[in-house]
Amino acid sequence: MSNTLFINPTALEAGLQAAFSARNKSDERHAAAFERFARAGLPNRRIEGWKWSDFNASVRALDPVEAFASDAVIAPSAFAGLKPFEIQIVNGRVVISDDERPEGLRCGVMDAMATIPELEAHGIVSLNVAMNRKALGLTVEEGVSLARPILIRHINDGAGFSFAQTLIKVDCNAKAQIIETYEGEGAGFYSHLNHMAVRDGASLQRYVMQETGASNIVHAMCAAKVDAEASFDQTSFSSGSALSRHETLVHFWGKDAEASINSAALVGDGRHSDFTSHVVFKEENCVTRQLHKGVAAGRGRNVFQGKFEVERKAQKTDAQMTANALLLSDVAEANHKPELEIYADDVECAHGSTAGALDEDALFYMRQRGLNDREARALLIEAFAGEVVGEITDEGVEAVFRAKVNEWLEAQ
Amino acid sequence: MLNIENLRVSVDGAEIIKGLSLNVPAGEVHAIMGPNGSGKSTLSYCLTGRDDYEVTGGSVALDGEDLLDLDPDERAAKGLFLSFQHPMEIPGVQTMSFVRTALNAQRKARGEDEISAADFIKLIREKAKIAGLDDAKLKRQFNVGFSGGEKKRMEMLQMAMFEPTFAIMDETDSGLDIDALKMVGDVVNALRAPSRGFLIITHYQRLLEYIQPDRVHILADGKIVKSGGAALARELEKSGYEQFIKAA
Repeated sequence: MSNTLFINPTALEAGLQAAFSARNKSDERHAAAFERFARAGLPNRRIEGWKWSDFNASVRALDPVEAFASDAVIAPSAFAGLKPFEIQIVNGRVVISDDERPEGLRCGVMDAMATIPELEAHGIVSLNVAMNRKALGLTVEEGVSLARPILIRHINDGAGFSFAQTLIKVDCNAKAQIIETYEGEGAGFYSHLNHMAVRDGASLQRYVMQETGASNIVHAMCAAKVDAEASFDQTSFSSGSALSRHETLVHFWGKDAEASINSAALVGDGRHSDFTSHVVFKEENCVTRQLHKGVAAGRGRNVFQGKFEVERKAQKTDAQMTANALLLSDVAEANHKPELEIYADDVECAHGSTAGALDEDALFYMRQRGLNDREARALLIEAFAGEVVGEITDEGVEAVFRAKVNEWLEAQ
Repeated sequence: MLNIENLRVSVDGAEIIKGLSLNVPAGEVHAIMGPNGSGKSTLSYCLTGRDDYEVTGGSVALDGEDLLDLDPDERAAKGLFLSFQHPMEIPGVQTMSFVRTALNAQRKARGEDEISAADFIKLIREKAKIAGLDDAKLKRQFNVGFSGGEKKRMEMLQMAMFEPTFAIMDETDSGLDIDALKMVGDVVNALRAPSRGFLIITHYQRLLEYIQPDRVHILADGKIVKSGGAALARELEKSGYEQFIKAA
């Protein structure tokens, strides 16, 4: 690897190149990924799709070094009550619990992806692929219903940058729940790439909880391949961070499959949350429901971008997207971009997007009934975000999500 | 009980209530009747403390205590209740949970203990029966998908639950069928007590067949232009508001 990849490298680029060189001596495929990153760079606001979330501007200001291993004491997860099988990824380093594994789950460290063809133009994904030689691998065996959820805790408490990759396979007719939490008070940049295969007839429920400290910069990409008659249901909560973006890319590779992609963002002053998704319908008769609810307070910023792409072959697609934003101050922001790209002629696809303030009539009604201003506002916000939480079918997970919404409200 | 002295209220710079005085002694039911645009709803919103209703003169006191300096929830905790002309839907908020939160907020503000879950459920079921709402409605989101009549029943259920010191009913009768009107009459008559007062705002005399008012006032152009006994409402029904508007 020469130093000519970057013209006049910034301190960050030089740091990334040094880190790359240190871990990848002679692997051409990873070198190609790094070259793709070097060409694309970190996404910036001049690129459509990134205009509201400029990673280049935020990340380049960071220490151009790798985040150190942490010896911080890690408190039990809010999801501990669900008795999950826990895996921690601390500043990019994987620690698998010594707990007994649920029957039918294989778990270990394996070779990382050397390329993801559909994401080769994605700067951060290319960087992630370049940097990770090894990945966390999880396989739920055919026909197995996992008795306990898998909990992956991404804990970022360092400065500098860190990367991790997870490869998940839910084999035919298997069922699994995966909870991912993004935690930690660090001021670094963390990139996580999650590659999932949901095989024929399988069911995967994924829950994401973005609750890092205010200084964290997080990018998480979940690329899911969903096969015939499979289901992929995802519910995310984000309280944002300095800059956080959770991307979901779903490809329906088989017929009669379904997905739900729901997200609630509660973004306080100075924080930024971005939920971006892209669903590609490649086969017939697939169903998708997407609901986003975003609340921004102070100078908080809530970004939602959703795209449904229906290929010519994907007749009888049924896809609906709704995004609602609530703005709690005059300087809060909601940036929505719903998109439909349809090449099939027999489909039902719709999207709707709204933004507004709290309903003054409802507030007065509640206050006339005895609730003070703070209580009335909190109840309305809880009800607004609660629609997403209400879609969660697992009571235990739902309770934790509700508690997080209330925690956020109390902190306001 | 409720003493309004020379009240003046403006909305967006336009004076709507123009020197209104009214006394409702404890134990009495007074009716305010008036044509559209006479200031009836402005009066109910002003009494309950809604923003944007600017009091430019006069005073309002409940049992000798000035109301105008209090927030809406503080007035509610003093026992002031408004049955809304257009009750709100509150999506995402469960009916039982909302009514219980409101009841407990009022109790807490008065220094009383919160009601237990068991006592609450018993109470709300009993009151729902009186208001003519079935249990299934209580399990739904607050007023969401309710008909106009059901929303008014929900107002009456809350009035029965909260047992207010003073209740203002803003056109509770509008859009109600005969059975529902009778229900409103039953709820009010059951709550009538020497320590409690009511102000019933209406267009029509119909509701007053079920609730015998102690006094009837005619509101026109922001002022009370005539007061009388229950007979005044019947007279109005025959002769209309025209003569009183002219008098104003």
